[in-house]
Parts: sequence; structure tokens; C-alpha cells
Amino acid sequence: MTDKTLLAIENVSISLPPGADRPFAIESVSLTVNRNEIVCLVGESGSGKSMTAHAILRLLPDRTGVAQGSISFNGNDIAKADEPTMRRLRGGAISMIFQEPLSALNPLARVGQQIAESIITHTKPTPSKEAVDARVQELIRDVGLPDPVALARSFPFQLSGGQRQRIMIAMAMANNPALLLADEPTTALDVTTQKQILALVKKLQSERGMGVLLITHDFGVVADVADRVVVMRNGRVVEQGTVDEVLRNPKDDYTKSLIAAVPGSRSLTKTDRRITGEPLLDAVGLNKTFITKQGMFLPPRRTDAVQNISLGLKARETVAIVGESGSGKSTLGRLIMRLIEPDTGSVHFDGKDLLSQRGEKLRQMRRKIQIVFQDPFAALDPRQKVGDAIAGGPIAYGTPSKEAMADAKRLLARVGLQESAANRYPHEFSGGQRQRICIARALALKPSVLVADEAVSALDVSVQAQVLQLLAELREEMNLAMIFITHDLRVAAEIADRIVVMRRGEIVEQGETQKIFQNPSDAYTRALLDAIPGRTMFAGPGAKQAEVASA
Amino acid sequence: MTSASINSGGRVFAVALALAGWFVKFVAVVLVIATFNFILVHAAPGDPAQVIAGQSGASDEKLLAQLRAEYGLDKPYPIQLANYLKRVVTLDLGYSYRQQRTVASLILERLPATLLLTATAFTLALLSGIILGTLAGVRAGKWSDTLLTIVSLLLYATPVFWLGLMLVLLFSVQLDWLPAFGYVTIGVPMTTLQRMGDIGMHLILPAVSLAAVYLAIYTRLMRSSVLDVTHQDFIKTAKAKGLKQGRIIIRHILRNAMLPIVTVAGMQAGALVGGAVVIETVFAWPGLGRLIYDALLQRDYPVLLGVFLVMSVIVIALNLLTDAIYRVIDPRVSVRAAS
Repeated sequence: MTDKTLLAIENVSISLPPGADRPFAIESVSLTVNRNEIVCLVGESGSGKSMTAHAILRLLPDRTGVAQGSISFNGNDIAKADEPTMRRLRGGAISMIFQEPLSALNPLARVGQQIAESIITHTKPTPSKEAVDARVQELIRDVGLPDPVALARSFPFQLSGGQRQRIMIAMAMANNPALLLADEPTTALDVTTQKQILALVKKLQSERGMGVLLITHDFGVVADVADRVVVMRNGRVVEQGTVDEVLRNPKDDYTKSLIAAVPGSRSLTKTDRRITGEPLLDAVGLNKTFITKQGMFLPPRRTDAVQNISLGLKARETVAIVGESGSGKSTLGRLIMRLIEPDTGSVHFDGKDLLSQRGEKLRQMRRKIQIVFQDPFAALDPRQKVGDAIAGGPIAYGTPSKEAMADAKRLLARVGLQESAANRYPHEFSGGQRQRICIARALALKPSVLVADEAVSALDVSVQAQVLQLLAELREEMNLAMIFITHDLRVAAEIADRIVVMRRGEIVEQGETQKIFQNPSDAYTRALLDAIPGRTMFAGPGAKQAEVASA
Repeated sequence: MTSASINSGGRVFAVALALAGWFVKFVAVVLVIATFNFILVHAAPGDPAQVIAGQSGASDEKLLAQLRAEYGLDKPYPIQLANYLKRVVTLDLGYSYRQQRTVASLILERLPATLLLTATAFTLALLSGIILGTLAGVRAGKWSDTLLTIVSLLLYATPVFWLGLMLVLLFSVQLDWLPAFGYVTIGVPMTTLQRMGDIGMHLILPAVSLAAVYLAIYTRLMRSSVLDVTHQDFIKTAKAKGLKQGRIIIRHILRNAMLPIVTVAGMQAGALVGGAVVIETVFAWPGLGRLIYDALLQRDYPVLLGVFLVMSVIVIALNLLTDAIYRVIDPRVSVRAAS
């Protein structure tokens, strides 16, 4: 160990409680983090990357613990340190930020108080209120937030996702930590916000000479910020090295597959899918304003979610609607399906007016437009067997239940699961598998339009690539037209024939995928393209391929 | 949007508007309830004039007609209802033919005893429920949690009147520690302080009996709520800050875990007033519960209507209070309503 080394994990194994599917969550993991560097810990969900980081601060779940190995921080072994020592380290010399900035902050306390708590806990004697307030404001300013005085008095729900994550970072910086553990800090954020947060982490790291252990599943992020990379799979380290070594010249097959899975790292699909004819689904002049009542005598709050949007979708065509959270893209998807009613505008499906249909006719039309949601955990009834979930739709439309169940099993096999999955409950499946089940459920009704609302956003990049591949195959087999709603341009580029970019309820730009990537006309589209992580490393879809080749 | 964008003048105005809105709803709900009460009581068979006349021993038609005219009972129901609502709005609760006193004075005489009993029982149930539930929640799975679970299930399953009688047997008859019934010892001259102590001693058994079931409910609810909150991300954040377990429980778990308790307790606070009828009867506690019971047996409709109305006003007021408390505890609610 050199004196540059800040953290050294050696041969650490974490035991799982008896009865788990394996004895160890991670096995013989060794890695180091030096002062003034960013180490990225990369892997899919279940690889043990998060456990590794939590083990450092001993924040592991109940009934799990470090079974063997040593964790030394600044030369002291902390794997067996006593609880008061660990408490001094937590939020002191080592601090941590988490993935979900909404749930990681106490919803009932002002964010300033939550930052102050961190300061007070680690400062003896307890500093004066004025000193704490001043420090809180300084921290808020340091993470690039405006108006620190007002912001300190805000509650988490009043802030955006990016602002909340900045507050988390401010809290983590409160006691000038030597080591920052960042557990997927940008996974839940929009691409442009992700770019800003990564830049902030990088800036704070270099200003303070901090060591950072950043956990991610996205090699794009790695390419942007990492000095060194550690790749984990099934609780073991499969490869580590400098970012150039690993990205340019990966040795392990698994690393190669992870890098290949980064959306947009492949060249754009240039095959002409021969999409012609009249639009199958034609929305014209859609408007939707949400009005939130705020009490008897108070003026209601208006949100113009969708403003004068027209969108045509031809048979077999895939249109991606791209935008950040709050852009109105999901509202547009729901309007087109008539899950919510537009204030004005018309939607025609197969030549018929969708908005004027009633009763049985509407029901028959609904069958033709199906949806897959973002969160595969919330989208399935936890007490309904998978087979019943898939067969339920066709049965409701009159298919005999035996036939529907046989279809359901065929569909399960088609989406890459076993037929026996039909008799199991959703909790037995991983996120990617559940999303496959959701796709099977939507397709069981043999729709001609599939709306995929952030359908792959909650998945790891490698799983994302598989699900995208599956969708691409299915749309050819079933002649599906798709509306693909996403915040991620890279994902849109993988699958869409045409891209529609939305911002604040309006379309800012639309066009063929290649045209958008190679020749974006709107400044906002360019900003979105710039924010794609790993763009420099992977050159991005549509950019000059020579860059990658020369590397 | 941050809270800074709301200026303080605007906020005062918004709060005033919200209060005005509450008041309008409050009056509307009270009038609807008064109407329901009136219809219910008059749907019951029997003629109050005959009851009064029967009690005075004479029942000739002339007297009945005179009584009906005197109390407005000869008018059609809608007119009677209108007159009743008019009186309600002017806070006139009517006159008890049976007791020859105004209903308001009867209620005012009994109200303090009921409020004392229910408030004590409620506070007892809520505080101990929160404390015991938190203890059980943070020690989930350990023996102390199991013990608390068993005790609270036993309390929950025990009928209120039976528990009351058993407590009397144990603490009054066997041990002779506490008085068995009544509100205050009669016929003994006492200073104010002595009198308060005496009432307090009388209060213990009925309050404990009344609180038992609610205590069990709050303990269970608090336990599961604490367990829920304990597994949330911000508790991990608090740990990662280096906070001690005690501070995490008090500062982060407790307040979040109390939100569902406040909702349930607010609804039950009203039910508690009604639930006091049984306990007041068992312990001969001179409160509203006893007043209803007696008025029911004597077909004293004005008293019944009056007590119903007062109770519903208390329930509505408690609900509003719950709303207000919720707004204080949970900033997400207050800003949504007043920004």
C-alpha cells in the first residue's frame, strides 16, 4: 500500500443469511481508491457493487456482514472497528450519496436542517447556530444551487430531482470527506441533469483532492468521469484497470458485453424499413392543461402539459418521443391512447375518430392500442400469477380461457422466459424479466400500436439492450407500430425510425433519427445530444465513426 | 418552485381563506347532521306530547292539543324541522319537558366529565401506543416485541365492559386502592386541591378501561409504521451521516411514522366520545354518555337531539383539528393547500 492509497479493500467476502440462494453476496473482492481519483465500480444489478460500497461504512442490511477480508481506510483496518469509530467515519471522513434523491431525504425536514444535522454531529464542541447556518449556505452554494437562504428552508418535495441530488452532495461534503461513496447517483435523473451532477462530482473531487468510489451500471458514465474502473459480476471482480485500458481494450468477455450494451455505441440502423402509407394513428392539435384545485377560495394551479401537438404514426413505424421529466411526453402518450381526455384536438385510429367512440366500439378499439409502463415492479399485480396476468386481457375479450392460457405460455416463451413462468408470481422475477412479462401481457391482445412509456429506463444497460432487441424483433413479427417514450436519446436512436423532441409541452424538433443525430436544428436537441454520457468515448451514434476506429 | 416565492402577506391571506373555507364546510356539515338527527328521532314511534301528558298523569285531548301548540308539535314536519334548524343556528338547543330544564344547561353540566374522561383516555392511549409501538418496531422480532404484540392483542380482544368490571374487582374490591365508581366522593368536605386529587383517583379506572382497546390499536399501527419507515432510504442516509440510533429514531423515524397514527387517531377521537357511553354506565360516570342513556329510556327527544348535535360538533371539530395537526407535521400537505 502506498501513501497515496486512501481505501484498500482486500479479499472481502460478505456473508448472506442462512437460507439465501448463495452463501456470499460478494466474494474475495479487492480494490483500492487513491486520493484524488475517481474509481468507477461497474456491474449489473445483483453484481454486489452496492454491497461492496455499503460494507465500507458498515451499512449492510440486517443479518449480513463482512465474513472475511480487511477494509483499510487511511491505513487503519475498519472492517472490525467498533461502532463509535464507524459513526465518526460516517458522514465525517467517508460520506455517501444514494441513487434515489427523493427517498434519500427525510420528507418532513427542511433540507437546510438535514445538512446542518450532518455538521453538528461531527463538530465538537457544537458550533453556534449562526456558524452552522453560514456553513449550510456555503455548502448549498458550492453545489451550484441558487438562493441558498431560501433553499435551505425548502422541503425536499419542493425541489427537482437534480436539486435534491445536489442537496445530498452538499450534505456529503459537509465535513470535507476524504472519500465519497456515490451509489448510482445519477441513474434516476434526466440525461442533462446527469451531466451536470457528474460534472459537479468531478469538480468537487478535483478541488478537494477527494477519492471517489462511484457505482454505476452505465459505461457511458464511466467513460465520462472515471480514472480507474472495477468491473464486478456475481459478487466477484472480473476486471480492473485504468479507464483507457478497460474501455479501449477490455480483456474479459463480460466487460466487452457490457461495453457493447451501451445504447448508441453501435452505429445507427440504416436499413430502410419501407414505411409508407397513411398514418394508422393520427393525432391533431392536442391540448391538455392540468388544473390542480388548491382549496375553496384559492386560484387553481394550471400546468400546460401538452400544447397544440400533432403526431402521426404509420403502420409498423416506431416513433420515439424524447424529453426530460415534465416535458409532457407521458401525457402525450396517454392522450393518444385516450387514457386521459384531451381538452381540444382529435385522435383518429385506423380512420375512425377515437375520441367519439363509446361502449363496445371503444373497447374493441382499445384492444388495438396497448401500453408497457416504466416500472416493472409496480406494473404487475403482486398477487396475480404471471399467466393469469397475460391471459386476463384476451379472456376479457372472449377468448376461451384454455386457449388464452396456451397463448400466454407461447408468448412467455417468445419473450425469452420459460413456459412454467405462467404459474409463478411477479416477485420471483428480476426487473428485466418482469418487463418481458409486461410486454407479453400487452402483446397478448394482438395490438397494432404499442406505447412503451420509458419501458427500458428502469433497467440496467445490458438488460436494456436485450429488451430493445426483443422489441425490435416483435415489431417485425407482429407488424407493430410503436410509440417509444424515453428521456434517453441513445435508447431512442437504437429503435426509432423517427424522433420527436419535446420540451415544456411542445415539440421543439422532429425528424428521422439519423437527421436528428447528425444535424440537429434546435438548440435544446443539441443540449440533449451533448449530455449523452460517454459521447466522447463512444463517439455516439451518427458521429464520425473514424473516432472510434482510431482509438 | 421554492417556498421563498410565497410572500408572507400572501400566506396570511391564504391561511385566512382556508379558515373561511373550513368554517363554511363546518356549518354545512352541522346543519346536515342536525337534519338527519331530526328525521331519525321523529321516525321513531311515539308522541312526545303524550309522554309529557302521561307523566303528569292527565291525558285528555285538550291538554294534549295545548302541549302540542306550546311546543310547536302541531305544525307539519318540514316547518318543525325549519324551526329546529333555526334554533340550532342560534345555538338554542331546546327545552327538556322531562327534566324541566334547558337542554343546554343539562349538557353543559355533563360535558366536562365526559371531556375529562375521553381526553384522559385518548391521551393515555395515544402516548403509550406511540411509545410502545416504537419500542416494538425498533426491536421487531426480539422477545420484547413478541411480548408487546401478545399484550396488545389481548387488550384488543377484551370487551370494554368486562375489562372495566375486572379492573374494579382487582383494584377496588380486592386491593381497595381505587374507588369503584362515581366522579367524586360525596359528602366529604374538601379543598380544591383535594377535590382534584379525588376526581383523579375516580378517573383512573374508567380512563384505563376506555383507553385499552385504542392503546392496542395504536401500538400495532405504530409498530408497523415504524417498521415501514425504518426501511426507507432516508434512514440509511441518516445512518450514513453518522447519527446515533437514538437520534435517528427520534429525529427521523418517529415523525414520519406518526403520520398514519394522526389520521386514525383523529377519526377515533370522535368515536371515543360515543364509546364512553358503555364505560360511563359501568362506572356511573356522570357524563354525556349517561345523559343519552337516560334520555333514551325516557324518550326525552330534545335532550337526545341536543347531545347528538353536540357530539357531532365535537367530532367535526376534532377532524378539523386533525387536519390542522397533519398540516403542521407534514409540510407536503400544508403547502399544497396554501401556496
